Amino acid sequence: MIRAKNIYLSYDENKYIIKKGNFSIKEKEFIFIGGTSGSGKSTLLKSFYGDISLKHGSLIIAGQEVFGVKGKPLRHLRKDIGIIFQDYKLIKEWTIEENIMIPLKINGYSHDISKEQAVKLLAHVKLSHRQGYYPNELSGGEQQRVAVARALAHNPKIIIADEPTGNLDDYSADVVWNLLKGANEQLGITVVVVTHRVPKNFGIRFRQLSIEDGIIYEVS
Amino acid sequence: MKFLKNTFAFVIPLTAMLISFSIYLFSSNILNNYKLTIANDYSIVVVTNTPLIKEDITKLAGIHVERIITLEKDKIITNIKSSLSNSSIELLKRKLPHFYKIKLEVFPTTSELETIKNQLLQNKNIRKVEIFSKNHNSVYLLLLLLSQISFILFNIIAIFSIIMISKQIRIWFYEHHEKITILKLHGASILYSSSTILKYAIFSSLISFLIVSAMFFYLIDNIGVLLPNDLANIVVVSLTLENSLIKIFLLSFGISILTILGVLIKYKMKHD
Repeated sequence: MIRAKNIYLSYDENKYIIKKGNFSIKEKEFIFIGGTSGSGKSTLLKSFYGDISLKHGSLIIAGQEVFGVKGKPLRHLRKDIGIIFQDYKLIKEWTIEENIMIPLKINGYSHDISKEQAVKLLAHVKLSHRQGYYPNELSGGEQQRVAVARALAHNPKIIIADEPTGNLDDYSADVVWNLLKGANEQLGITVVVVTHRVPKNFGIRFRQLSIEDGIIYEVS
Repeated sequence: MKFLKNTFAFVIPLTAMLISFSIYLFSSNILNNYKLTIANDYSIVVVTNTPLIKEDITKLAGIHVERIITLEKDKIITNIKSSLSNSSIELLKRKLPHFYKIKLEVFPTTSELETIKNQLLQNKNIRKVEIFSKNHNSVYLLLLLLSQISFILFNIIAIFSIIMISKQIRIWFYEHHEKITILKLHGASILYSSSTILKYAIFSSLISFLIVSAMFFYLIDNIGVLLPNDLANIVVVSLTLENSLIKIFLLSFGISILTILGVLIKYKMKHD
């Protein structure tokens, strides 16, 4: 599903954040990427959806080469991915169901079908009672559940999550972990999560990668 | 409230530009109508050695010749007949050159008149040309000046309007930056991501178009409201409402779309 060969990532030419990155992630795997703050975890994740360009190497995501990708192929790549951010990245002036409808509408679904799917997903993340609410009217945990629902909406091949529980209390974090586990186990979606704290007793099989000084290691 | 403020920041310069364009449309139409009116009363007189081949003169200084009228020698002689003997009259009839009056389709400008005179004098058969340049109408020149000024003003206002509109579009892009980023991260195109801004621009253009159309619709039949009665004979407006509204519509939406595309391309280059 994801294969990296000698990838180098940097924001400027002088300092590489990721050096000679080699790893592969199989279909339906659940992957944690760990490492200290500033180690380059989020940068690596950004490269998965083309938000930072590879300086060297080859990165294949869902069969598409990411190196040098832009324009239409980049948009196509992003349509195969569901993204969850630490700060949720919900559009404040849209209702939560309108936020969930975003990937569906971008993928060409009609308004009615998108709406129907959004309502189902709201039920899935146990937020039916919040239908019609705006993100700012929800707690952090609830907003992250909306973000998970949005990431699941278009049935992506991969879900990428950048510190999805970083801003949440333990209860909300558990809810989010359960939703991601469900996406992996029940829907067979490959999940890649960047976190500095892997949850204890996770309950499903997962693999862990770690980044130190720009080098990617296989932990378990 | 913020939406209204933002919309007005777009609508006001665009409306100002459309109004200046309408003024230009009115002034050039008034000028053209006046040109046609005075062209009927104006003619150039030429004197030739031999009869003029009228088909040879179809255009002068780019202006179509409407018709060439032969001035009868008898009529000219009649005026001085009383002071001449019959033999002298006969001699005069034989010796007199040929006189013609050239009527043009459009009233020429002073410079065009000079070109016409030189063009005619190149014909060796033509002995003399009278263009009556002193009678050349000062009202026409004044209208021409007004038309030119309104055109220059329209261009200046258009430049400032485009600058102000593009500034407002940039503000919209800044305000919607987060939304655009989120949509792009989910695979949306830049056009899809900025569709809200496009809607704002189209809505604002429509408001500007409607405001100016309403003013135009009223003024086309009531131009006297703006001008003193003394000008009633000079100021004749014969604009076609449909044509003029199409021009205003195209200008309104054309400027908005081109400006938004310009800002959008710049934004895309900066953020991609």
